Order: sequence, then C-alpha cells, then structure tokens
Amino acid sequence: MRFSTIKYFFKESFTSLVRNRWMSLASIGAVASALIILGSFLLLSVNFDHILKDVESQVEITAYLEDSLDQDGISRLDKDLAVITGIKEIKFISKEVAIEEFKEQVGRELLEGIDNPLPNSFRIKVNDPHEVASIAEKIEKFSGIDEVKYGKGVVEKLFNIIHWVRVIGLIIMAVFAAVSIFIISNTIRLTVFARRREINIMKYIGATDWFVRWPFLIEGMVLGLIGSSLAIGVLAAAYNYLYITVKLNLPMISLLPKEYFYDYALGFLGIGMLIGAFGSSFSIKRFLNV
Amino acid sequence: MIEIYGVTKIYPGGQVALKDINLRISKGEFVFIVGPSGAGKSTLIKLLFREELPTRGQIFFGGKNITRFRPREIPYLRRRIGIVFQDFRLLPEKTVYENVSFAMEVVEASGRDIRKRVPHVLERVGLAHKAKARPSELSGGEQQRVALARALVNNPDILVADEPTGNLDPDTSWDIMGLLDDINKRGTTVVVASHARELVDSMKKRVLQLEQGSLVRDEERGVYSNEI
Repeated sequence: MRFSTIKYFFKESFTSLVRNRWMSLASIGAVASALIILGSFLLLSVNFDHILKDVESQVEITAYLEDSLDQDGISRLDKDLAVITGIKEIKFISKEVAIEEFKEQVGRELLEGIDNPLPNSFRIKVNDPHEVASIAEKIEKFSGIDEVKYGKGVVEKLFNIIHWVRVIGLIIMAVFAAVSIFIISNTIRLTVFARRREINIMKYIGATDWFVRWPFLIEGMVLGLIGSSLAIGVLAAAYNYLYITVKLNLPMISLLPKEYFYDYALGFLGIGMLIGAFGSSFSIKRFLNV
Repeated sequence: MIEIYGVTKIYPGGQVALKDINLRISKGEFVFIVGPSGAGKSTLIKLLFREELPTRGQIFFGGKNITRFRPREIPYLRRRIGIVFQDFRLLPEKTVYENVSFAMEVVEASGRDIRKRVPHVLERVGLAHKAKARPSELSGGEQQRVALARALVNNPDILVADEPTGNLDPDTSWDIMGLLDDINKRGTTVVVASHARELVDSMKKRVLQLEQGSLVRDEERGVYSNEI
C-alpha cells in the first residue's frame, strides 16, 4: 500500500468526521454511554467480587480438641493435620486464650470466678473456601478431635448466592455489550448511508472493497476511541468520588483501589476501537455490493 | 475488444431484459446503442462492467471471460472502463479537481501522477479554468464534462456512457457528443446508449438497435431508426 493511499484514508476519515459532525457526535455519545453503562456494571461486579472474596477468605474451620489430649498429643495432631492438602494455616487456640476472647466479647464481670468450660482448639484456614466442607470432614476423623465447626449450611448458602450473583452479572454485561455494538453499528450505518453515493461511485471507478472500507474502519475506530476515552474519563471521576465517599463513610467495605481501574482503561480503549471497527464494517457490507 | 455470445438477462421477478444477444465491438470503434426505454440498453451497459451478470451466455473483455470473474477481480476490470452516467454522479462537496483526482486516488496512483494527469484531462474537456468550482456552481453540460474527465483520467481502454445527454439541452448535448467523438478519435473505444435521435443520426456511427431485449439491427454508419 502506498503512503499516499494511507494518507488518503486518514484524510478521508477525518474530513468525514468533521463533515458529519452531528452524526459523529451522536456516535461518540452512543459509544460513550454504552461503555459507561458497561463500565459501571463491570466496576460493580469486580468490586462485588472483591468484597465476596473478602467474605470467602474469612471462612474458617474450628476444630475443638478433646480435653484429655496433652501438650505432646496437641503438637502431634498439629503436624498430622498439616499434611492435609488445601490447608493454608493452622493456629492453636488454647483454652486460656479462648476464654479471654470470650470475655472480651460478653463482658469480663459476667464470667468472673467461673471455671473455664472452653476446650482447646485449632483455627484452620484453607486455600480454597469451596473445600471447607470436605476438609472439615477429613479433620473430624482424626483422633483427639472432639468436634469440628465451620458454619455448616451457612457457608454452602453463601457460596450459592455468590455463584448466582456472578452468573447474573456476566449475563447483564453480555447483554450490554451486545446493545452497545447494536447502537454503534446503527449510528455508523447512518454515516455510511449518508455516503452511499460516494461508495457507489468509488465502486464504479474500480475501487477495491478494502479501499472503500478503510476510511470507514478508521472513522469507526476513531469514534470508538473518542467515545471510550470519554467513558473512561467519566467513570474514573465517578469511581474516584465513590471510593473516597465509601472509605470515609463505610470503612468496613473495602472497594478496589482506583489504581486497579487503570488496568481496565486500556482494555476499554481496545473495546471501543473494536466496537467502532466492527460496527462500521457491519454497516458498510450492504453498500459494497455494487 | 468486447465479444458477447448468446447473452440473455432475466431479472429476478421474471422480467426479460435481454434475449440472446450476440455482438462484437472492436478496438477503436464508436458504437451507439439505441431503442425505446425498457429495450435493454442500460442492462447491456451494466453487463459490460459487471454490475449485472448475464443469466445465460458469455461476455469477453480483451479476451477474458468477465462472466467468470470473481468479485475481487471486478475492480480491475472497471479500471479499464470509463463510465459516464445520465445523472453525472459527481460528489457535491468536492471541487471539480477533487472529483477527478478522486478517481486516481481510488486506483492508488502516486501523488505525482495525479498532479500531472488531472490538469491535463481537465484541459482536454475544456474545464481547466473551473478546477476549483463545486459541481453545484456548474451547468449540466459542465458537470457532464467533469464526469467525462473523471472517466478518462485513468486512461481506460473503453468509455461507456449510459444516456450521457439525457439531462442536457440540445446545444450542450452536441458539445458532449463532439467531445466523445474527439475521445474516440484519439483511440479510445466508445459505447453510448442514447435516446437522442438527431444526435445519433448526424454522427453516422455504428448503431445497435434493441427492441424488447432483442438486437434487431446492427448497422455501420447507421441512423437512429431506419423506418423511412
């Protein structure tokens, strides 16, 4: 391809952008709003995911030990348990520590003078929260273990909810992606339609399909690029505001830091460009058949 | 240059536009295609540059069977054919110069060739002084001259015109015909579909007459109609 041809493609696409400025603005608006919606959902879902992971990671197993187990037995059991695959961390909680924690929770005075009824225990963290149930089952079989607790039922329910939240989030995102492509290809179809005469003439003169296509592809990509930059700007400002507000008012909720957002920004530019190129090639197809 | 063998064209819907056409146009000829509206003149023209495919029959251009061309070969066929329409088909937002240079950009000519060639063809159609005008500032005849310049700028083997004077007044039509004759005298094969009886009669060129899709007359130095 000649340099003058490439120059021609860019000249054509930019004059067309300016010439059809209202249409161009409409396309940019469509790309931007579609991507803002898409981006909001994306941010919502990654943050929800982040919060859920937080909750998931807090799931732990408590294994209560038989009172008869002495210090040797405890350390032997500790070593034995460590062999189970999927265990991240085992922490021994002596009955003294346990009663201290309990006193903290319910109030010191109330328990004054009472014999410590709490057993020794292990607090066990696992690598994959989904394996909690099966690991708990294995632990239960060791001698010296009195009882294993991990919030049976509650954990399963929580995982079920998390699963559905993710599925629904993905569906919503897919729908919005499709809607964006539809809006954009429609808007670009208008620009192509406005220039169908020109395309027609080009084809009669002997232009190849790719020669006709390139300026529209560039135009679409530029529209997508500007639209997605706009969306990124709006989302970044909004997210920044949200992040600060949540941090000040709801400190227990940990949102993803805004630096995380920049990883998505580049992907967004790519998506915008792709949507633009896809939309324009989609719209131009019909007019090439001369 | 062009050989047409047993060409029939039936449009979807059953309308028969051309019936078993056989003809040959040699290099350097000037040919009129005449006949009433709906006789198949435009269809015949469209078959030449592969806007339409014949339902039956073969068409050869420069020895190549263009009915067998794949879609990606069509642009290269059209680069050898200059096409002129009744409605000029100029781009209204481009200047005269740009409308012509556009045709060279499309075939990816170099910038240097474009700058050399465009003024030359504009000179040839007598519009060098209007290079910066827009089509809307020109008369119909001038617009058709721009279209002619555009069709000629890539040095086609053949110039095909579908009712080139259909939208023009008689005086201007004479000018355009004179220009076509001039182009032909310089070696380009010219094929013109036309309604303009007087023009055809006075030019004394080869005349192909179509009636309801059939070729009813093929006459050297003919006139529009021989029922005298």
